[in-house]
Amino acid sequence: MIKASRKGIVGNGIETIKNLANPLSSKNYRGSVIFAVEPTNDQRKTLEDICPTKALFSIKENNAMGLDNGKCITCGYCSEAASKTIEISNKPAIPVNVKSQMIGYSGPQTLSSEKSYEQIGNALKEKIQKMFGRSLAIRQVDAGSCNGCEIEIAALNNPIYDIERFGIHFVASPRHADVLLVTGPASRNMEIALLRTYEATPGPKIVIAVGACACSGGIFGDTYATTGGIDKVVPVDVYIPGCPPRPEILLQGLLLAVNKMKLE
Amino acid sequence: MNNANLENYAKEIAAKFSNKIAKVSQNNDELHLNVKLDDMPKICDYIYKNLNARLATIICSDERKNAAGFVIRYVFEKGDVFIFVIVSTGQGFSFPSIVSHIPAATLYEREIKDMFGLIPVGNPDVRPLVLHEHWPDGIFPLRKEFELETKAKRQDKEYPFLRVQGEGICEIPVGPVHAGIIEPGHFRFSVLGENIVNLETRLFYTHKGIEKLAESMRLDEALLLSERISGDESVANSSAFCQAIEKIARVEIPRRAKKIRTVFGELERIYNHVGTLAGMSTDTSFPFGAARLNILKERLMRLNESLSGSRILFGVNRIGGVRCDITDENKKLILETLSEISDDFGKVTLLLKSKSSFMDRLRGTGAIPKKIAYDLGTVGIVARCVGIDIDARRDHPYGSYYLHNHKTPQELIQHQIEMEKRTGDALARFEIRVDEVQDSFEIIRESLDLENDSLLTSVPEHLEPFRSSLGWAESHRGQTLHWVMIGENNSIFRYKIRTASFCNWPVVGQAVLNDIVPDFPLVNKSLDLSYSGNDL
Repeated sequence: MIKASRKGIVGNGIETIKNLANPLSSKNYRGSVIFAVEPTNDQRKTLEDICPTKALFSIKENNAMGLDNGKCITCGYCSEAASKTIEISNKPAIPVNVKSQMIGYSGPQTLSSEKSYEQIGNALKEKIQKMFGRSLAIRQVDAGSCNGCEIEIAALNNPIYDIERFGIHFVASPRHADVLLVTGPASRNMEIALLRTYEATPGPKIVIAVGACACSGGIFGDTYATTGGIDKVVPVDVYIPGCPPRPEILLQGLLLAVNKMKLE
Repeated sequence: MNNANLENYAKEIAAKFSNKIAKVSQNNDELHLNVKLDDMPKICDYIYKNLNARLATIICSDERKNAAGFVIRYVFEKGDVFIFVIVSTGQGFSFPSIVSHIPAATLYEREIKDMFGLIPVGNPDVRPLVLHEHWPDGIFPLRKEFELETKAKRQDKEYPFLRVQGEGICEIPVGPVHAGIIEPGHFRFSVLGENIVNLETRLFYTHKGIEKLAESMRLDEALLLSERISGDESVANSSAFCQAIEKIARVEIPRRAKKIRTVFGELERIYNHVGTLAGMSTDTSFPFGAARLNILKERLMRLNESLSGSRILFGVNRIGGVRCDITDENKKLILETLSEISDDFGKVTLLLKSKSSFMDRLRGTGAIPKKIAYDLGTVGIVARCVGIDIDARRDHPYGSYYLHNHKTPQELIQHQIEMEKRTGDALARFEIRVDEVQDSFEIIRESLDLENDSLLTSVPEHLEPFRSSLGWAESHRGQTLHWVMIGENNSIFRYKIRTASFCNWPVVGQAVLNDIVPDFPLVNKSLDLSYSGNDL
C-alpha cells in the first residue's frame, strides 16, 4: 500500500515549483484597469455612468480621470464601453498600506513589479524568521463576503501554493493570531463579532482588508445592511484590492503587513 | 406556449375550487391562480398534498402603489410546471400561515415578517430571522418607503435560543467566527455527553441586503450582483437571473450561447464538487486525499481563468447571451485539461474508496430521513442523497441541457433503482458527488460541438413594466430560483432570490441528531451549504 501511495504522489510530479516558476496570471486574466489614452470629456461622463461601483471618477480641475482600485471589481464594463481608451491588463492591482494609494490616475502608469509567488514567499519567509523566530499566525474573518475571497484564501493552503512552507499558518482562534485577514463589506450583523475578534487578538496585531468589498464595500456598497468597508469598524493596516484577489497578491499583502509590523 | 401538463393542472384545480379562483393565467411555464387570502391555505394544501407538488418558494412584494397591497406568491413546482398561488393582503398587515400543512414554509414566512413586517398568523416560530436582535423594531427593508442607505441604531436585546433542559445537558455555542477559512454562522449545540440532542442554527450574519440593493440597480449591474450572491455559484446564479430577464423580454438566446452557458455551468460544478470532496477528505483526517483533490481544483481554477478571465468564473454571462466565447484553441485546452483531470480524479476516488478508515467514517454519518428531507423542501444533492429525484437540469431544461436528457428505458430503470438505494448519509453524498463530476465531464465533451451562430441576441431596450418571470439553474448545491419583476424605466421592481442553500440549511439540525459533536464538521461539509447564498 505504501508503494502505491508513493507512486500516487510521485505520479503527480512536483506541482509547486513547476507551476509557479513563471510569474502570475494567464493572458486572459481580467486584472487592473489601465488608461491607454487620456479619456475625452464625453468619455469620462460615459465611463462614470457605466462603472457599477463608482471606481472610475473624473477630476474636474485637470480634466483627468481617476480609478480607485479599492472599489474596482474588474467587471470590464468600462473597457467594453471605451475599448480604445481603457485596457484591462492581466496584472492584478497591488496591495497598499494607505487607502489613497489604491487610486490611480490617467496618464503615465506605474506597473506593479513582477515577482513570482516563490520570490514573494521567500522574502516573506526571511522576514518572518528574523522577526518572530518562527512563524506568522493568521486568523481569517469573513465579515459578509460572497465566499469568493475565501476560495482564494483557502487556495493558499493547497499543495501548490502551500503557504505553510514560508512559515505562515492559519489558526483557529484570534487569541493565537498575529494577523487578521478580513473579507466582506462588514455586514451590520457581523459588525460586533468582527470588533470582538479584533479585541481578542493580542497586540501587536495587523488587520488586512481582503478584496474590493473589504476595502470599500465593493458592489454591496454602503447600505442599511453593510458598513461599506472594514475600516469603518476596525483600523486597517493593509488593503488588498481585487474581486477576488489572486493567491500571490494575498501573499504580497502579507509581506507588506510584516514589513509594517514593529515589535512594540 | 402549449403545455399539456399545465392545462391539466389548471383544470384539476379549477374543478375543485371553481368559485374560489378569481383569475387563471399563464406565463411561459408558470400557471398563475389569483385567489382570496382566506381561501389560500386550502388551495395550497390541495396543491401540496393532492397534486404532490413541492413548495419552491414564497415571494412577497410591496405593490401598494398599484393598489394591490402586499402581494404574496406561493410557488409550487410540479414536474416542469410552476404553479403560482397569488394573494393580496389588501389593507392588512397579516396573512394566514401554511406551516401546519407545509413545514417548508416556515423560513419563508419568518423572512417575510422581517423584511415586510407582515405577520404570519398561526406560525409558532416568529423569532427574528434576517434582522438580528440588535435591529430596532419597525424596520422593514423591502417595503418601498424604506431608504436603502438608512442606518438603523443598535438596540440591546437577546435572541431567544431554544433551551434544552435536563440533567447533564450542556450547551456548546460555536461561531459566528469559526476555526477555519469558512463563512460565519452560529451553532448552538445542546449535548448530553458527546451526543447531540439539539442543534440550533443561527444564520444571516452575512446579510448584505442584496434584494433591496438590486432595486436601485440597472439590469447589467444587477447581473454582476447576482454573480456575487455566492462566489462559487456565480455561473448558476447569473444564468438564472439572465433567464428571468430573457423571458420577460421574450427573447431566445443563440444556440452557441446556450452551449457555452452549459459548459461553464458544468465547469463550475466540477471545481466545486472536487473542492467539497477534498474538504470531506480533510474532515475525515485523510489529508493525502485532500491534497490530491486540491491540486485538481487548482488546475480547474486555472482552466477557468484562461477561459473566462476569472478563477471563479465571474463575468461569463450577459443578458441575452454570454460574454466569453470558447474558441477552437480553448476547446482543445478544455479537452486536454479535462482528460488529464478525469484520469487523475478516477485514480483519487478509487484510492479514497479503497481506504476502509475513510469509508467507515462516512458510512451512517449525518443520515437524513427521507420524510424529513421531503418535508423541509430540500433540493439538489441533499434531496438526491435520500432518493428524492429532482434536478433542474432535467426537470426544467435550460441552456442546452435538453440535449443531454437522452436515457434509454434500461438506464431510466437503473437510475430509479439507484435512487431507491440511497441512504441519506455522508457516504451517499460522497458517491453522488463523484458520479456527478463524471457526468459533468461527459456533458462538457458533448457540448463542445458549438454552433456557428452569435454569442448574443439583442434584447429590447425597454422592457414592459410589471412583467415578471422565474429563472432557474441547477448549481452544484441544487436548484437556484430567481424571480424578477421589472419596474418602470427598465428598473428592477422586485428581485427575489432563493438559492439551494436556503432550502437545505434546516436539514443540518436534523442530520446531526444521531451523531456526536466531532461529526459535525464532516456532516456540514458533506452537505456543502453556502452562508452567503442563504443570507443574501
